[in-house]
Amino acid sequence: MILIPDDAVERLFSSAEKIGKACEKLGVSQWEIYATQGYGHSLDIEAGKISMASGGGDGGFGIRLVQDGRYGYAHLVDPNSASHAIEQALSIAKMSPSIEGFELPANQPASKVGGMLDKNILDLGPEDLLSQGDFVIERVTELDDRAIAVGGGIGIGAGADVIVTSNGIEDGGIHTSHGIGIHVSIDEDDDLTSSYEGESSRQMLTEITSSVDKAVHWAQVTRDKIKGGETEDCPVLMTSDGFSPLFSVVVPSAISGEKLARGESFWSGKMGQNVIAEHLSLVDDGLMEGGMSSGSRDAEGVPSMTQKIVDKGRLQGELWSTRDAAKMVQEGKVESASTTGSAVRGGHTSPPVCGCSDLILSSNSKTYSRESLVEEMENGYIVHSVMGAHTANPTSGDFSVTTSTILKVANGEIQGALSQAGFSGNMAQALSGKVILGSSKIRKGSYSTGSMHVPDVLLMDGLRINPA
Amino acid sequence: MVVATKPDLSTRNTGRILDEAIARRAIDSAITLGAEYAELRLVSETTNSVSLKDGKLERAIPGQEVGLTMRILADGAWGVHSTSDFNSIETQVESTVKLAKAVASRRPNNQSPVGLAEVPIIEDEIHWKSKKDVRDTELQTRIDLMLAIDNEAKDHKSIVSTSTGWSDEHIHTELITSEGMNRVWSFQRSLIHGMVTARNESGVVSYRMRHGGEGGLEIIEECDLGGMGENARISALRLLGAERAPSGKIPLVADRDLTGVYIHEALGHPCEADLVAAGDSCLEGRLGQQIGSDICTVVDDPTMRGGYGCYPIDDEGVDTRPKNLIVDGVLTEYLNHRETAHKYGLDPNGGARAQDGLHHPLVRMSNTVIQGGTHKDLDELIEDISFGVYACGSRGGQVDTGRGSFQFAAQEAWIIENGSLSRPVKDVSVSGMTLEILKNVDGLTKDAYLGSPGFCGKGQTVPVGDGGPLMRISEALVG
Repeated sequence: MILIPDDAVERLFSSAEKIGKACEKLGVSQWEIYATQGYGHSLDIEAGKISMASGGGDGGFGIRLVQDGRYGYAHLVDPNSASHAIEQALSIAKMSPSIEGFELPANQPASKVGGMLDKNILDLGPEDLLSQGDFVIERVTELDDRAIAVGGGIGIGAGADVIVTSNGIEDGGIHTSHGIGIHVSIDEDDDLTSSYEGESSRQMLTEITSSVDKAVHWAQVTRDKIKGGETEDCPVLMTSDGFSPLFSVVVPSAISGEKLARGESFWSGKMGQNVIAEHLSLVDDGLMEGGMSSGSRDAEGVPSMTQKIVDKGRLQGELWSTRDAAKMVQEGKVESASTTGSAVRGGHTSPPVCGCSDLILSSNSKTYSRESLVEEMENGYIVHSVMGAHTANPTSGDFSVTTSTILKVANGEIQGALSQAGFSGNMAQALSGKVILGSSKIRKGSYSTGSMHVPDVLLMDGLRINPA
Repeated sequence: MVVATKPDLSTRNTGRILDEAIARRAIDSAITLGAEYAELRLVSETTNSVSLKDGKLERAIPGQEVGLTMRILADGAWGVHSTSDFNSIETQVESTVKLAKAVASRRPNNQSPVGLAEVPIIEDEIHWKSKKDVRDTELQTRIDLMLAIDNEAKDHKSIVSTSTGWSDEHIHTELITSEGMNRVWSFQRSLIHGMVTARNESGVVSYRMRHGGEGGLEIIEECDLGGMGENARISALRLLGAERAPSGKIPLVADRDLTGVYIHEALGHPCEADLVAAGDSCLEGRLGQQIGSDICTVVDDPTMRGGYGCYPIDDEGVDTRPKNLIVDGVLTEYLNHRETAHKYGLDPNGGARAQDGLHHPLVRMSNTVIQGGTHKDLDELIEDISFGVYACGSRGGQVDTGRGSFQFAAQEAWIIENGSLSRPVKDVSVSGMTLEILKNVDGLTKDAYLGSPGFCGKGQTVPVGDGGPLMRISEALVG
């Protein structure tokens, strides 16, 4: 293997066990050591050329200690300095509130999840990546000689991570990733149009240029400008690429058990009730083969599961980590709760927190091709990307963003593009109105809140377009 | 070992972490292998983060992270290697030189090789001392300060939850280059923040607050934390009763936080010369041109001590200075690092920043401020507006630098009617085109200062400060 040492996992196990022994020496009853080491190569694309190539790796250790329902956490890069980190975590645990019933998870058998590792990626070297970069840049100009790849990059990565706990959990493995992001612009006749597209996968991307094709397409189709009309409340067809980032800001937060219990979710108090259109379902799949946020265990070693959060429009599930569940029970916010295998973490520097894995929005009604959705919409807009998705309010579901990849539709036919428009509404309300899902390819989008699997979505109600 | 094994990463006494002999050998080896330039930059960060939920400790995380990036310029192209195992760096020199040469071999004939503008070669140590070294702060002190916010923020039956957070960091950087640069610098940042959630029969809303800057514990202690919590509570309760904002092109008045985000997104990013060089800025070729109204003067200043975007030396070892981006509406300067300064024949102005020791420097903003104008206060700014919006507090923003289009969102807002503030509205976002809306700025109050601290993402995340006076835009797209 070129990308990652053959014994990467063994090395991490060895260091984690050493830190675990140091915990025991200091009298810690429950400890959890998470160790990670990542390696990768990447290249940057700028102004139609490869501007930089880089490689490297980093990693570290996270130590979580639990004593009498109190927990402390510390992270470090050098296992030789573990004693100091353990003492820090212990002193924090003493100041933390005691949560009755909170203990580190017991060891339970977990199913293996396939597709996390692609050996072809492990054998790639920097030159292979540079060749992919050449191919991508050539593809842009091949599709449209006015187009230029103004930015973007390609990366491959391999990561080893392990978890070892005092309760007997010992698990670890290697996962790989391959990703591309490409920003294409066409600047002609004082009109610049552009599109950014990206994709990532645990497996080698077999169609590395599909993002390029899409970026060039959207830079082209948004050149045919028409004059923006009046502000209107109207149907909007959001492509999978445009909907995914907005969905990722608003929905994962709303299905956290803790947020639902605290009244911080727009779906708080609605368990068992219809919250979205009756043909829609929402599944959090921690066992998705090749899922960017899936794995046999969650971030605290609990076996992952597939959980129906919304079934045919009705809210019936929520996500819990071990500590959140115990805390909300102790605080009397819920009668009972237990982990759903939904602990996630952003590397060794953060303790496990509750979060989504691979979140899927689906419909049991007929799904439509993009062309059919346009016909179904009759009059409205197609929005392919939004600016400011991160400014959406996950507590209320309200959003007010901007788009420059927007096409006007009248009588079921695309009329042309607006140069810019405001786009606002409430995600919860829009999903509970008339919604039709598309059948075209779903963009694989991975975000800090999990991985989103959402198709094209035609939202008929509650949205406003405000042309510039 | 996979990870670093150096036994003592402490820089408490401003000592060095990087073994200079190893660093020199690595750099000399790169030059021997044909590189024009090589550098090693090590960053050690001592961090603490704390969070409370409803006034109870949720988590406290002390951390010590170190990263090293080797950047090599060979045949006019970059190769980079980053690692937390800095004892292995010598073994990576040859492959990184090869990487740079492989990139160079692909350079199109019509593009020039990368060069670096000349800068003073300096050997020194600069340590910005905080009045109260944040590393000496006890966890209980941090919790007490956060509770000062929490106690005021939660004081109403409609407030269903509160959360407060703390983050501090001591950043120690060492830079050694093949040109003879050998600099060490350190400084601290401290930040406190919170969010309140309010709920009633009409719905659920949240309001965020944030205070911080370059410095230690004194940065947090100087803030009226109780007042911040009280304001957040009042704002959240007001939002519960607020109606949806109007849509359309109308006059907008922005508070300091929002003015700062506007100037950061609409002007600051397009002024970053690496984006200009990539063909991804609407300000390409516009130096010396009038791009805004003549009351607009904007400065990006990393030397503005206390600002969240401060730093003593940039990540290429270049001394920092204020940069006048626009003066009286005329574009006068791009933000540069050494590569873009060389490309455009400009002076390097200390604009190179990297997220940490594992990332290479990009052109970034620091503290970006629009200077004050002539209006006395808010009343004077809005007195001749018959219908408009006064928007306050930032939920962030984004820009498409190539198109020159941007968006930013407010936390709360009021309708302006016949020269006075009337009812509150929510979900206000503003969008526009940089080259149009800068010309629509037609009123600024006299007093300009930094608003709330923020974070800027450009593939890498760095802390920034933004601000200015209260600003009036004659026509903006509000949605």
